[in-house]
Parts: sequence; structure tokens; C-alpha cells
Amino acid sequence: MMERNAVKREIPSRIDGYGYTSEKLFEGAFARRPSGCHAGPRIRAAVPGVGSKLAGGVHEAIMASGLKSGMTISFHHHLRNGDYVVNQVIQACAELGISDLTIFPTALFDVHKAIIPYIKSGVVGRIMGSVNGAIGKLVSEGGLDAPVVLRSHGGRPRAVISGDVHIDVAFIAAPTADRAGNISGQMGRSACGSIGYAFTDAQNADVVVAITDNLQSYPISPVSIPGVHVDLVAVTDSIGDPAGIVSGTTRVTRDPMRLLIAKYASRLIEASPYFMVGISFQTGAGGIPLAVTAFMKEAMKRRDIRGSFGLGGITGYFVDLMKEGLVQKLMDVQSFDLDAVHSIASDPNHIEISADWYANPWNCGAAVNMLDVVILGATEVDVDFNANVNTEADGALLHGIGGHQDTAAGAKLTIIAQPLMRGRIPCVVDRVHTVTTPGEVVDALVTEFGVTINPQRKDLADACAEFAASRDIPLVPIDELAERARRMSGPMEPIRVSDRVVAVVEWRDGTVIDVIRQLEK
Amino acid sequence: MEPADLKAAQAGTLESMDCLVTITGPVEGRVIEISGNAAARFKTAMERRINDVLDGFGNSPTDIKVGVQDNGALDIVLGARVEAAYARYIGRAGR
Amino acid sequence: MRRTMLYLPGNNPNMLLRGHLFEPDGLVIDLEDSVSAGEKDSARILVREVLRRGEFGACEVTARINGTDTEHWRKDVQAVVSCGASGVRVPKVESPQTVRDLDEEISGAEAQAGIPQGSVKIFCLLETAFGVWNAYDIAKASPRVTAIIPGGEDLAADLRTSRSREGTELEWVRRMLIVVARAAGVDALDTVFPHVSDDDGLRREANFVKQLGYDGKSVVHPNQIPIIHEVYAPTEREIDNARRIVEAASAAQARGLGAVSVDGRMIDAPVIRRARFTLVRAGLASDSESKG
Repeated sequence: MMERNAVKREIPSRIDGYGYTSEKLFEGAFARRPSGCHAGPRIRAAVPGVGSKLAGGVHEAIMASGLKSGMTISFHHHLRNGDYVVNQVIQACAELGISDLTIFPTALFDVHKAIIPYIKSGVVGRIMGSVNGAIGKLVSEGGLDAPVVLRSHGGRPRAVISGDVHIDVAFIAAPTADRAGNISGQMGRSACGSIGYAFTDAQNADVVVAITDNLQSYPISPVSIPGVHVDLVAVTDSIGDPAGIVSGTTRVTRDPMRLLIAKYASRLIEASPYFMVGISFQTGAGGIPLAVTAFMKEAMKRRDIRGSFGLGGITGYFVDLMKEGLVQKLMDVQSFDLDAVHSIASDPNHIEISADWYANPWNCGAAVNMLDVVILGATEVDVDFNANVNTEADGALLHGIGGHQDTAAGAKLTIIAQPLMRGRIPCVVDRVHTVTTPGEVVDALVTEFGVTINPQRKDLADACAEFAASRDIPLVPIDELAERARRMSGPMEPIRVSDRVVAVVEWRDGTVIDVIRQLEK
Repeated sequence: MEPADLKAAQAGTLESMDCLVTITGPVEGRVIEISGNAAARFKTAMERRINDVLDGFGNSPTDIKVGVQDNGALDIVLGARVEAAYARYIGRAGR
Repeated sequence: MRRTMLYLPGNNPNMLLRGHLFEPDGLVIDLEDSVSAGEKDSARILVREVLRRGEFGACEVTARINGTDTEHWRKDVQAVVSCGASGVRVPKVESPQTVRDLDEEISGAEAQAGIPQGSVKIFCLLETAFGVWNAYDIAKASPRVTAIIPGGEDLAADLRTSRSREGTELEWVRRMLIVVARAAGVDALDTVFPHVSDDDGLRREANFVKQLGYDGKSVVHPNQIPIIHEVYAPTEREIDNARRIVEAASAAQARGLGAVSVDGRMIDAPVIRRARFTLVRAGLASDSESKG
């Protein structure tokens, strides 16, 4: 039986491997409220002078952790495409005869396609977390028995803290650790800066294993995750490839199309009521958002406006903004490049925050709630402003949610900045294949054709019209944009899918906003 | 009948919003092969455009294989590349 | 207005389809230097299709054809005129005869396509010393001629020098051609500034040619457009002044007076025309109004 949720998506009332959905259909961005108490981990006690956390290598640590077939293990993705730890742990589990694991990563990258053979052999039975590239394709084609569950950066800690997901063993890649299990991401050859995504796992897993290639004498400082949460410390030759962990320097694009879109987005921000002293913003590391930051910097200098903080994934570009006094603080859940890594290690105004602090909808106030402006991307946006960041034009699951839902819900001005066409493929359509973020929290779409404002935000349209006396902000209605895209691309053939659900997209509050179905061959 | 010599002609590029069209022959009938991201959603329209352009040459050309490596070409670009490739194939290019 | 005319490589679908989004005043679809010898046929077909589609925003659409000393130019003219280009930019013009030949070919193409005679304009690139020397006769060789444009690299080579950032080698040519253009009643458009990431250099050069009197520049990269538009944007004082002149002229006309005066000074017709044009550049009046 099918049910319809608040974004008009047909959701099966029961999904194999996920459960009944009737009680948790998406009802609206802020509709569902929590009740009850936090779930929590097993209570442990360390006796002075007894035992050691140093377990040896990865194999020994897995054995010492008590990990068994069918359990749930978690990972963070701060080492990005340079990560060795996920592959090392899965391979070790295979060698130890452990199977049917549920893996609960904050994200997987291309490098993790090495686990595909272990999915096929049953070592990994299930994935709860974003899947990219080759694994996404495998999932889309029905390669896993249970559906993947996609959660946002804020939805994931909510799921852990509220008990939707229980982590049996958390494996935490630790660029630096000591024998008591204190962990930092700021030092060591595999330094990655913030390790904000790992905090909630450390606090809520039954067993926490730190895996490090840089064991230092006790105590290290600074400490990101204190050893009070950590049961075991494993030492390995290398936890990652520095070249894949952080990029060198971030440069603003010279691509004229991206610059044009960025220019329109920055004018929209300048026209908005939020462009004032104390403005806070999040732009991430993509080409267009970074260019928006560059234009905003120019506008802030021109109008003598100083901002308060930059949030989210931090780049060297944001570090420079802080050095120039254009923002006062950086709240960093993930450090994208070397400059950001150096800055977080040396500047007290560059604050490491957890995913819970960053984006969880069910705490006493995440940082996204303090955000004025966020610039996001999307593979598709529809005429209701619903955004899809999960599936590609061919319907394959290729991207996680990231902080998309959380920042869109939290920010006062949520802008999706995206070219109207990627080659022949339109980015504005009548109906997105997958709803990741509902239109009610998307305020504006910016393309090379100008600015398209959600009709719910008439105030913004008025502000632009006022600002745009000299045609600086071309305003384009969403229907006209969709029509233009349709005219350029020609009619699209439908994506052919079966009834089988291969992934569930949860809204940050744990309700089902959409499902992704298996592609037909 | 003498076996005809194999011929091939190309037009276009692999740049963004372009396509590389390769026409080879002789083969049996008219064969169209399309690769690229857009093929999943636009195959029918692309085939129609290719056929329309070829039929526009008058003698409804057959015995050719049309290979398209697409990188996001709109219909008019695809049509232009097929026309150029076929004109080259039959030696009517006039560069 | 022709403050900026953006060259679009004729064999590049991405730029041909998107160039107008950067809002230059005009587009120059290039079949010449940016298309290699072996791709002339393919580019001509592509350009024909893109012209037929006709989505170029508010831009004036022109095409640079291959030189009249090549085998391509007649086919180029036929293709671009029949598909709706409103101007033809012709390279290496050296004599009035070149313009007359081109005029004849365009007239033929117009007749064949059922386009009113004389609609398609000619933009002359003067890329040799001889061409520059003959500039006035060239500009007067056909009523279709609407602009003359000094060459860049080619002209420098013909002058037996090379291009410098300061533009010393082109300075006299630029000064001469603005006089020629005004004498002949056509636009003077400057050559391209080839260093696409030197924004300050571009701004300096644009300021210089604007002060000489040039109507605009050719551009090779979209990022150059806003910089030149900024240079050509009238100042608040200029706008204010122009507004008062135009208002006084309208008032005088309404009262049937021949003479116009502002602040006790008599204003001549050319100054009024100039004032109207200032308002166009400021985006406060439309181009057609300024020509009235």
C-alpha cells in the first residue's frame, strides 16, 4: 500500500528492511517534535592501573572490541577520498570471519569502492549513510538486500541520540591519539583539522576504537574527543593519503558562467534584509559558492559591513575572510584544505564543532539556526522549489545529503545556485526525481538566467525589485525557467524504475521524505 | 559485386555541450549508436534528429553506422555535427 | 550601443549558445581565426543552426567571415546573411573595392533570403598599414559600413613591431581612426585586449580609448564585459547634466522654440544628441530614443 507524504511522494507503507512508514511520513520541515529521553551507550568503567587501551593493530582491536556478525559499526569521513580506515576495517572483519555488518558511515567516497567485493560476499549486509560513485551505482541497480538509509549531517546525530540507530562499535580514524584514547585531528601526517562528524559516535557507541598512525605521549593537546569515550586504541602504519585528505589551495573560479551565477547570487544577498553588520553565512567549497564568497567580500568591503561567523565546511578562503576581519569566527565541522587545517590548529576564533552542534534539529539549538545565508547546489530543482541532491539525471543514487537539509532549514535565506543546464540535462524540472530538501525551506534559485524567488518569499522579491532599479538582478519566475529548460533540452524520457526501494531519504527529523527505487535494466 | 572500401568521417568535438559524430560504412542498413550522460533521457529525440538530418540529404542514406559520443549537445548541435560528418563522408564537405 | 562586442569561436557550441548570457552589447560569431582550416565546413553548419535558433537576448548579432582572399568568404556570407546575422565583420580590408565586392555578395544573399536590401551592415577590420591609410575611402565605400576597427596583432606585425601592454604601437592608428570614423559617420570600435586575466590593464586601455572617443571594444572573454561597461558608465554628474540638457530640449521643442539653453548657455544639436546617448549608456533611456 502506498501513502502520500507532505511533498506528494508515494511512500510504501512498509519497506522491506526499513519497516513501517505510516507513523513517520514527512509532514513538514518543522512538524515533528521529539519526546522522551536520549538513548545511550553501555556504561563502562576503567579501573586505575588495570589493563591498557593499546590493542595492537586493527585486527586485534576488532577482536578486543567484541564485534560480532550482524552488528552496526560506524566511521567518519574527515579523511575524505584519502581514507584507508574503512577499507582496512572491513577487510580485517572479512579475515576474522565477521559478516552481515551494518556500516554507518558519515559518508563514503570513491576510494571506498574497495569494499564492493565485501558487499557482494556478505561481509557488509547493509549501508546506512551516504554512498557515492561506484557504490551508489551498485545500490541503484539493486546490489544490496536492505535499503540504504540516507540522513543529513544533522539527521544522523539525531538518529543516534534518539535511538533510531544504535552503534555497536565506532571506528574513529585519529590523525593523532595518545594511549588513553584522547584524539585530535589537528596534528600528524594525516591531519584533517576538525573531526566534528565523529563526536556523536564517540559519545554514543557501545565500544569506541581509535585508529591512529600518530601515537603521541599522554596527554596530547589540544584534544577534540577525550579518552573518556574511547575504549581501545589501535595503531596502524597509515590511516590515509594526505593528498586525498585535504586539497592544496582553494582558488576562485575564472569560469565566466559560474562567475555570472555567483554575481547574481551575491547581488541577491546584498539586496536581502540580511546584508548588514553581523551577517553569517555558509558557502562550502564548490566553484559557484566560493565565487559568491568572493563577490560578497567585495560588497562587504564596499559597504563597510563586517560579518559574524562562517559555518560548515571551511576553506582557506574563509580563513582569509576572518584574517581580514570580515567575519569574526569560523565554526568548522569539516576543514577542506591545508589553510583551514593550519588555522583551526592555531587560531582560537576558529572553532571545532560537532555535527550535533552544527546541524541536529533535536537539540537546544544547532548552529544552522543562527545562519543568515547559505548557498547550496542541487542536481535538480522543481517548480515547487523541491531540491534533489541524491540522484542523477539517469535516476542513479550518486550523492549523499550532506548538510543540505539542515542549512536550508536553518538559514534565513537559502539560495540554490546552479546552471540551468548541465549539457543537455535541465536542472529545473516540473518534478524532481527525488526530494531531498522540500521547497518550503528553499528561498531562491539562481541560474545564469537570473534570480528566481520562491513565491512564499514575496519580501525578497520586493527587496530585489528595489535593488534592481538598474536591471542588476534579472528576476525570472520558476515556471518560465522550467519552460526555457524544456525548450532547450526537448522532452525527457521518464526514468524506468521498479517498485523495489533501494534507498530511503529521511528528512532531518527522521521522517521519510522520499524513497529511491531500483533502476530497471 | 566488388567489396566496397571502408570509409569513415568525423565531425564535432568532445567539449562540453558538443558531441563527436563518427560515420562509418558500408554496413548493413542504418545503425545508430549513442553514448553519453544525456542518452538515458533523450535517446529517442536524438535518434529522431539524426534520422531527420540524414533523410534531409535526399537519397535517404543507408549502409552507414552513425556513432555519437555525446557531451551534452542540444538537438541543433547534434544535427549540425551529423550534417557535417555526413557531408564529409560523401565528399561534399567543401571546407 | 557597441561598448562591447564579444567574439564567439564559431566551432564551440558552448560559447555560441551561452555568449549572450554575459550581456555584451553585441556578438561576433567568428568563422575566421578561431576556426582551424579543416573545420570551416563544420563550423559554418553549426553557426547556421545557432543563428536560426536566434536566441541571443538583446545582443546585436554579427559574424566575422573569412577574408575575401580565401575560398570561404562567399559561403560564409551566404550562410550568415540568410540565417539572420545583422552584420558582417570582414577581416583585412585594404581597399574600397573589397567593401564593394562584399556589398554585392551581401545584396545577393539578402535578395535570395527575402531580407530588405541594405539591412545587413559591414564592420571593417583594418589590419594592415595600407588598410588604415585607406580608412576613409573604405568607410565611405558602401552605406552598409557601420564601423571601422583597427587590427591588433596583425596590424602590429605589418607595422614591423609587436604589441605591448602600453599600446604605443597602436596609439597613432587609434587616434587617426577615430577622426576617420567621425568624418565618415561610422562607429569606431577598438581591437581586443588579449590578456584575459589582467583586469587593471584592460581598465586602463578601455579608459584611454573611451577618452579618444571610441564607441567600444571587441572582447575575447566574458569576464572583460563588466569592466568595459563600468568604464563606459557615465558618472552621476554626467547623467545629471545630460538629463537637464534633454529636459531643456524637450521643453524647447514643446514650446516650438529652435534654440535651447541650459544655465544661460546655448546648446547645439550635437550636444543634445550626446546627452541623449549618455542617458542610454546609463540605462535610463532606450537606444532607439537616442537616435531620434
